[in-house]
Amino acid sequence: MPTGVSVGSVAADLSWEVRANNRLFHRKQRRRSCLCLHRGRYSDNVIRSYKYSALTFLPLSLFEQFQRIANIYFLCIVVLQSIPAISTLPWYTTMIPLLTVLSVRGFKDLADDLARRHSDSQINRQPCDLLTNEGFTSVQWKDVCVGDVLRLHKDQTVPADLLLLTTTEPHSLCYIETSDIDGETNLKIRQALAVTHQELSSDPIEPSLLAFDGQVWCEEPNSHLHSFKGVLEWRDMRHLLDTGHILLRGTVLRNTRVAYGLTIYTGLDSKILQNCGQTAVKTTQVERTLNKVVVGIVLLVLLFALLLAVGAGIFEARVAPGIEALAELGGRYTPVYKVFLTFWGYIILLSPSMPMSLYITFELVHVIHSLFIGWDLDLYDGGVDVPAHARSTTLNEELGQVRYLLSDKTGTLTENRLIFRQCCVAGVLYGNMPDKAKKHDPLDLSWNPFSCGGLQFSDKRLVDTLRKPGSPDVREFFKALALCHTVMAEWKDAGVSEEASAGAGAPVYQAASPDEETLVGAARELGWVFLSRTRDSMTLSELGHRRQYQLLALLDFTSQRRRMSVLVRDPEGELKLYCKGADIVILERLRKDSTYCESTEKALEVFSQGCLRTLCVAVRSVQEGLWEEWSRALELAAMTTGASDDLYDNMERELTLLGVTAIEDQLQVGVPETIATLRQAGIKVWVLTGDKKETAVNVGFACRLLDPGTRLLQGEELRQLLQTPSPEIPLDGGHGKGKGAGNRTSAMVITGPELVEFEEQPELGKRFIALSRQCQAVLCCRTTPSQKAGVVQLIRKYTSSITMAIGDGANDVNMIKTAHIGVGLNGLEGGQAVQNADFSLAKFHFLRKLLLVHGRWSYRRISVFLRYFLYKTSSFAFVHVWFAFCNGFSGQPMYETWFITLYTVLYTSFPVQCLAVFEQDVSAEGSLRWPSLYQLGVGRQLFNPRLLAGTFLYSIYTSLVLFFLPLSVFCFSAIDFQTFSITVATASVFTSTTELILQTGYWTMFNVAAIVFSMSMYFLATLILHSPLLHTIAPADFYFLGAFQNAFASPLVWLTVLLTTCTAVLPSLAARALLLVLNPPDTHRVHSSDGAIRTERHLELRPAFRRGHVRRRSSYAMSQGPGFGWLITSGVALDKTSATQSDRVDINKIEMDFATKMQMHVPQADHSQESAGCGQTELTADAVDL
Amino acid sequence: MKSQQAANRPDNTAFTQQRLPAWQPMLSAHFVIPGFLLIGMAFIGIGVALYITSQNIQVLEKDYTGTGQYTACSECADMQTIPCICNVTFSLTTLFTGPVFLYYGLSNYYQNYRKYQVSRDDVQLWGDVTKSPGDACAPYQYIDNKPIAPCGSIANSMFNDTFSLYQIINGTMKLVPLDGKGIAWWTDYNIKFRNPSAQGSLQDAFNGTMKPVNWSKPAYELNPSDMNDNGFLNQDFLVWMRTAALPDFQKLYRRITSGDYALGLPPGDYVLQIEYNYAVKDFGRKKVVFSNVTWMGGKNEFLGVAYIVVGSLCLVMSVVMLVVYAKYKFADENA
Repeated sequence: MPTGVSVGSVAADLSWEVRANNRLFHRKQRRRSCLCLHRGRYSDNVIRSYKYSALTFLPLSLFEQFQRIANIYFLCIVVLQSIPAISTLPWYTTMIPLLTVLSVRGFKDLADDLARRHSDSQINRQPCDLLTNEGFTSVQWKDVCVGDVLRLHKDQTVPADLLLLTTTEPHSLCYIETSDIDGETNLKIRQALAVTHQELSSDPIEPSLLAFDGQVWCEEPNSHLHSFKGVLEWRDMRHLLDTGHILLRGTVLRNTRVAYGLTIYTGLDSKILQNCGQTAVKTTQVERTLNKVVVGIVLLVLLFALLLAVGAGIFEARVAPGIEALAELGGRYTPVYKVFLTFWGYIILLSPSMPMSLYITFELVHVIHSLFIGWDLDLYDGGVDVPAHARSTTLNEELGQVRYLLSDKTGTLTENRLIFRQCCVAGVLYGNMPDKAKKHDPLDLSWNPFSCGGLQFSDKRLVDTLRKPGSPDVREFFKALALCHTVMAEWKDAGVSEEASAGAGAPVYQAASPDEETLVGAARELGWVFLSRTRDSMTLSELGHRRQYQLLALLDFTSQRRRMSVLVRDPEGELKLYCKGADIVILERLRKDSTYCESTEKALEVFSQGCLRTLCVAVRSVQEGLWEEWSRALELAAMTTGASDDLYDNMERELTLLGVTAIEDQLQVGVPETIATLRQAGIKVWVLTGDKKETAVNVGFACRLLDPGTRLLQGEELRQLLQTPSPEIPLDGGHGKGKGAGNRTSAMVITGPELVEFEEQPELGKRFIALSRQCQAVLCCRTTPSQKAGVVQLIRKYTSSITMAIGDGANDVNMIKTAHIGVGLNGLEGGQAVQNADFSLAKFHFLRKLLLVHGRWSYRRISVFLRYFLYKTSSFAFVHVWFAFCNGFSGQPMYETWFITLYTVLYTSFPVQCLAVFEQDVSAEGSLRWPSLYQLGVGRQLFNPRLLAGTFLYSIYTSLVLFFLPLSVFCFSAIDFQTFSITVATASVFTSTTELILQTGYWTMFNVAAIVFSMSMYFLATLILHSPLLHTIAPADFYFLGAFQNAFASPLVWLTVLLTTCTAVLPSLAARALLLVLNPPDTHRVHSSDGAIRTERHLELRPAFRRGHVRRRSSYAMSQGPGFGWLITSGVALDKTSATQSDRVDINKIEMDFATKMQMHVPQADHSQESAGCGQTELTADAVDL
Repeated sequence: MKSQQAANRPDNTAFTQQRLPAWQPMLSAHFVIPGFLLIGMAFIGIGVALYITSQNIQVLEKDYTGTGQYTACSECADMQTIPCICNVTFSLTTLFTGPVFLYYGLSNYYQNYRKYQVSRDDVQLWGDVTKSPGDACAPYQYIDNKPIAPCGSIANSMFNDTFSLYQIINGTMKLVPLDGKGIAWWTDYNIKFRNPSAQGSLQDAFNGTMKPVNWSKPAYELNPSDMNDNGFLNQDFLVWMRTAALPDFQKLYRRITSGDYALGLPPGDYVLQIEYNYAVKDFGRKKVVFSNVTWMGGKNEFLGVAYIVVGSLCLVMSVVMLVVYAKYKFADENA
């Protein structure tokens, strides 16, 4: 407890000043920002994730768009084209597409921004109670200001970082849930300073709060969630503040009626938003490669233009003067100037090799792929009526290339719910394996008035054994569960809460550890009801009989001890020590002559195979003399050293084993299958959680991220490995020496503090990533949101692989923003993860289809699309290079300008769009059944510099063929330029269409229609453009009059087109045919062996349940840190007396009900024993099967 | 209520679920190898047909530049005397099957030079000589501030050698009638080009314009023998204005279709009388070409050969694939 000290000088680093109830002071210093200039220091509590305002939209949007290299390039081309002297093509050929692209993208950004504004305002408009001179008034979050005093009700989300002043609970305690911040589900305790608690808890409270004029000096806003340094100066006293007095924005008030707090940090200054990181514009790896290709092509165009300009120089100097008709043209310019003009002319002429329409179509295809994701029924969760949503429409193909999946645990992998599944008492297993439980009917617990449902335990034998007299082991076991814990019972006033009325007056438990809450809850359901506790007593209702136990000592949990005990005196006066803890710890403390050890070991094995969290429960009868001696020693130790662990050890000995509990941390639907499939697909799954190590490892096993034989590298061993320059996982010789010793998989378990070291020592991080390549999984525990993002950055820094982060809470936002792709799960609360994610899903297992089907298809479609597009445009444009050698390097276009404009837009665009939208090499089912197909994308096998170079060479070849074959045919003939031009143009259209036909593997009617349409458009448009009508309107623009009829009437033209087309695509055709003959592609195998794959997969998911091979591992798990022990023993949270008067009346009434019901039910219990016997045989059969 | 609950449910259509009925061609070696074989055979077939057709075409070329290895018209090559008439003689031993086409050919002449190609005014050629010619015509736009009609470099550089053909029968020269009608494109003659219209004669219509610098006669006097073949609709002018694709080109001059020569040029001696006006010696050569034509146009050996080569390549490919396939399958069966 911090105590007041007199005012002295404030430490230098505590420079953040907060004056309570002094709005004027803070308003004056409110931060205002204009562009990059900030003034003032206190930010307001408004979230602004939007980027544009009405004024800044145009300049900012244009600035962002012209950061793309392609847009700048096109702008340059437009500028060049509008200079008459060098304009080889009219200006509109590039200007119109450029304007289209800029405006389409601008409107899309605007729409996104408006959506962000909307979601911002939803957050900003949440209500909260603010103290004003008129008392508490309801205001919106955005109106909260530093220094304000706020009132929070139960289950409200905290709107800003607050200093807890007082609560309605005793000692100004309050409970908060921080799952949105660190992913931990257990409740945390916050307590107000003693001074504020005492001085401000008047009734009514408003006047005293209004009079509160304390001054807080604390650190500047920072991102450390678990630390806070500050002092409160009030009434000339100074009180130290730490993180235990602070309610962070985003946490939820639980089990506390009302809390009052002083606002310390608002908006951007709050800790959670300091953790959010910066929003960066994400581009995909394919797009970056494309940008490099753009640069490459631009350089090539420059080079070609330069060479052709040199050629033009030679021509102008040597040849042109001889030809009178040419010599006079362009008359007064010097040859050098002419060459200069020719250079720019060729740049314009060759620019269609990098057409604008590529970017337009690229964007369009992205949007359609995103729509497909939203339309997919398999990604739609009917339960909550939420379809998948691609919030960012530019990252689709990257979904097909993910190598690292970084997943949050709580709420993402797990349901955030613990279930009492099984137990083993006196050597007998009760309960069923998780996956079989669904088939059983829930137990009939109507005989128990305290039961409020929620128990997913269906073994009737246990209930029968419990209620049958003369089964001391089982009763002792549940008594232990009901006694040995630090849970507090809360009695609801039935009038206040609806929950309470539904639960027929059952106690509500508050626990520091969700495991304990589950165990005590299970005991309650089965008749051993923990009713209430005082500082030195506990009251139970044992099958309706009320008994009070005297609590002598509470040996609290620590992570070193991994156990906790209570020493109680039962109503009969006997002293007993109940102990529960990790199996290893308990088993070594058993009496030598303990029974059931062997069967318990077996049960533990079964539980650990079922990935259940286990706790061993044991009891010890303590002699009165021993207790007196021990308690004296304890008092002595408390007074002198404070070290009581040895003493605890002495007491927790000679235990008798009662049984083992098994709790399931319930996974979300389909998580193990999804992770297994993703692993088969070659995706490395990392789990990043704020939760503690044991829990994470347990979940890792449960969701098949870790195999039963997986070797865990952690702690000191990992540290030593990382010290070696090139870490390699040592072969584990001890086990499985014979076969496959090297095949043992490994996984790394690392904690947040260890991660911090990587930031300080970069080479450690590098080795860590190198080591992780040899591991099948990595678990990062105890991580803060910024550490999660740090892990993502670490991977991005040392590998070039694609990372994907998935999470559901505010604590995942930073990670989601940092990863290449962020996926947000539509959780129950907040949805902050979704707001910042690129994709949102309703369930984790949808990831399978999103990655393996949508991602894979997108990657394939976009890779094929881009490669084809580059081929089509560059083969068409580079013809100009070769033609230059035949027209005196004069910049004469090979084609009619209309053809150049329409070629990419009309004649060849729709088929490739269809290809990019509909192409499927393998069906959705096949993709899921054959996850290894995904490797193609991870290995970038469809879009890489090598392939692009190949594509480029092929397009050069094609352009050579397109020009030189017609040239050879028509050389020395009476052909005119226009017919020649049409021949090359037609061959060019035919070639690109044929190549597209070769690329298409999935022919829907749209593909066929698009090809038919494009080809007919070519002929129709050419016919129209060459028609007399248009020529009479504008002779200068439609000068190819009659060329259509004359050219296409000539068989020679058709024969040339046919020959050119066939020759141009021959290499592609031959390569495809050869590949086909040499090795039939995967698709063939997939199609031919559907059945085989299905059985194979079925088998693959089973082996986690093999017997014998598996070393039993301790899957003990409990919430970290000491529980509420200190609260109980110090009595802070409890009254000295027992439950209140009204509570007692209730209990008595319930107990009477209980007794009557018991009598009614007894005969039935006997009857049902038969069937229970059958259940037992069934269970043993199961066990053998396992 | 239920429909409200599922308000966000995506539509279950074949399109949205990407289950459109589709045909997925599963090509196999059994299909590909015969396919290549078939294409190869077809190409070779076409190639052979083209080659044979081309071989049947008779061509007679006479270079009359007057310099270098060909001595014909060497007296005119220096362009001292204008007009300079020269004769090119040749004899035929077999019938030159008709209809015979007479071409003139220029080499190394860049009619596809960009500035040259655009050096014309399509509006003017469409009959509007009153308007000032377009800038593209520069420097052949005006003479003494009067517009040139037809303007531009193409028109100015029009080929102006003339040919007349005589057969020598018993020492006398018999004129072979040359048909200059319909050698231009129908669309050019009827749509693209129009003579300016005026009340009086064609000459009146061209009133106020100047003839191109290099022309000896104005446009309305191009063909003194046929009043209708003058102005912008002169056939030779139309042919010249349709610029050639490549630097080495031919242009149709006349056809021999009438009289005694409708079936072709019979064996015998011929004299081609050339009025040598067009200077080429600074850049290239000129020639006359007699040729008959088939359905595929003039003589063109390359196309046939190319088809045969590509066809053979396909055949070779199919054989290679067959070998590879057999080996692969053989190995597969062994394993």
